[in-house]
Amino acid sequence: MAVSSPPASSSRRKGPRWIDVQEQLTGFLFVLPALILVSLFGLFPIGYAFYMSLRRWRVVDRGFIGFANYDKAIGDWLGLALFIGGFAVWLAAYFIWARFFEHRSGRNLPTVALWIGSFLIGAALVGMGWGRMVYAGDDDFLNSLPITLFYAVGSVPIQLALALVLAYILFQQIKGREFFRMAYFLPYVTPVIATALVFRVIFSPRPTSIANRFLELFGIAPQKWLFEPTPVLHLITGNDAIQGFWAGPSLALVSIIFFGIWTYVGYNTVIFLAGLGNIPDTLYEAAEIDGATDWELFRHITVPLLSPVTFYLSLIGFIGTFKAFNHIYVMQQPSALGTVETASVAIFNTFYKASQFGYATAQAMLLFGIILFLTFVQNQIFGKRVFYG
Amino acid sequence: MANRVESLSASEGRSNVLEAKARRSVRLPWALFIMYAILFIGLILAMLPFFWMLSASLMTYGETATRKLWPAVPQFSNYAEAWRQADFSKYFWNSVVITSITMLGQLTTSILAGYSFARIRFFGRDAIFALMLSTIMVPAVVTMIPNFQLISGRIAFIPLPGGSWLNTLQGITVPYMVSVFSIFLLRQFFAQVPWELWDAARIDGAGHLRFLGRIVLPISKAPILTVLIFGFIASWNDFLWPLLITTKDTWRPLMVGLWTLQSEAGPETQLIMAASVITIIPVLILYFMTQKEFTEGIATSGLKG
Repeated sequence: MAVSSPPASSSRRKGPRWIDVQEQLTGFLFVLPALILVSLFGLFPIGYAFYMSLRRWRVVDRGFIGFANYDKAIGDWLGLALFIGGFAVWLAAYFIWARFFEHRSGRNLPTVALWIGSFLIGAALVGMGWGRMVYAGDDDFLNSLPITLFYAVGSVPIQLALALVLAYILFQQIKGREFFRMAYFLPYVTPVIATALVFRVIFSPRPTSIANRFLELFGIAPQKWLFEPTPVLHLITGNDAIQGFWAGPSLALVSIIFFGIWTYVGYNTVIFLAGLGNIPDTLYEAAEIDGATDWELFRHITVPLLSPVTFYLSLIGFIGTFKAFNHIYVMQQPSALGTVETASVAIFNTFYKASQFGYATAQAMLLFGIILFLTFVQNQIFGKRVFYG
Repeated sequence: MANRVESLSASEGRSNVLEAKARRSVRLPWALFIMYAILFIGLILAMLPFFWMLSASLMTYGETATRKLWPAVPQFSNYAEAWRQADFSKYFWNSVVITSITMLGQLTTSILAGYSFARIRFFGRDAIFALMLSTIMVPAVVTMIPNFQLISGRIAFIPLPGGSWLNTLQGITVPYMVSVFSIFLLRQFFAQVPWELWDAARIDGAGHLRFLGRIVLPISKAPILTVLIFGFIASWNDFLWPLLITTKDTWRPLMVGLWTLQSEAGPETQLIMAASVITIIPVLILYFMTQKEFTEGIATSGLKG
């Protein structure tokens, strides 16, 4: 009945050669509802946000003010230029490393000196630029960026490492694999508001909270957790010689990082498992015949063949931390003194609490720019090191 | 033709991704022991907050501040108290309505668009698809403020029927009636439907709409279920947008109600935990019923995305 000749179906796959008005119209009409909604609520807002960011707009629009909102956030344009210049030099340092160090011939004194030199110059520029910006700009907004960075660097790599271990184990012949997978995945689907509220109880400063009782097992005094603005480094070393950026995240932020890890490990595990399933068995069999150990199999087959998945997850993870809002909003405490205020939360506060609509959109546009830049850098650096089999 | 349909619906289970059989048995017994140990530690850590939520929700107010891990006498009355104090009868119903309407809208737009992107060739198709995909990159804080203006009816050149949509059902649901992710997922699946089926349907005089309704949808239960689950969870768990646009409780959903309760109930942990358990129950039921499709959907879409 449906014996269609191959040429007919293959020409169908390429589409009609003649212009079929009805086909064109149907196709477009089918897409139209989705297109209207995406345009209205996804595309139009980007342009409109930029428009708003150029105006003095506190609930009510009070007219064009040029880049004054950006000025207020950044404070010092020369500082920004130095900062970006520093990153550019770092990128150059990275390419020197990638280009020369991988070949033995490149490992000579001048290239090493060039690499160290450009790394240090980059660091100096970034430090100087940042100093100028913090001096003249908006502290609340600018400080939210290193906090977001701590949050990203503290949660994504750990999340990926734990997920890789769990996925690797679940991929062996283990009893109850589906049960474990289901349990690990549960935090990801549960409403964030509810789980964040539980974490508030677990990481509460009470001596009887779960987190403090855990510390008690090791004889450590109770901590204030989500209420603690002091950097973890100071708490551990008992010494506050290092201040500012290098002191690292506050204990309150670390508690939130725990929440981030707890939520996303299961998601990453499921994706890693799917990635493991895509690695052909024959590779392992061949390597085993050659006498490879389990560790060698893992190191030289699993890790490189899984690199596209790892890359994808790290990209999603980093972008996700820059977008993170709900759980931080729920877990933030006034006594943490803004040490958990990531970029999204800072922007929301400018908008919702301070009602500075124009200024909040300017901050949001800056954050968007940072996300695009990070995606670009991540693509440049890691995208090329990914092995696509 | 019947065969093709059957084979396609057999493949809709797509049990290959995660059910791929384990590579081989572990040879060393101590290695196996370490593996199980890691798995169980992971299990305890993953489940501990859930256990604590349940346990604390059954305690008396006094017990929540003690070292007890489980209440002496479970206080099931906490649930009734939390339900009453948080006005959950209203919010629960609101969430059910909001979620159902959002899902219905999202499903309609996604099926039509996914089908069109996969199977109809029209001018500008690939450009439109790329444009839609690009919106995934945009953080919510960028779109949130203009969308708030839009829904408040404050953007003069986009008039809304009825003026402001603040505190309305349409204000909460309409912006979420499209999901680029669902369109992407359905497009992947619809593209695999054999072209011979379409040829046959055409000979019988069917157009795209009838082909979609009679042939494609009945064999696409698995991806549609996946899209439905994703839609349900995203809509049920949504917090920021309803928080912004509901100043009255007419259409305030459960998550915002839970947040309001925690600011009002203050230190009464047991009530907040009981309310939290109530809000997660529908999600847990849905997840346990469909967890296979769900993790499959995450895995396949995640890998191809």
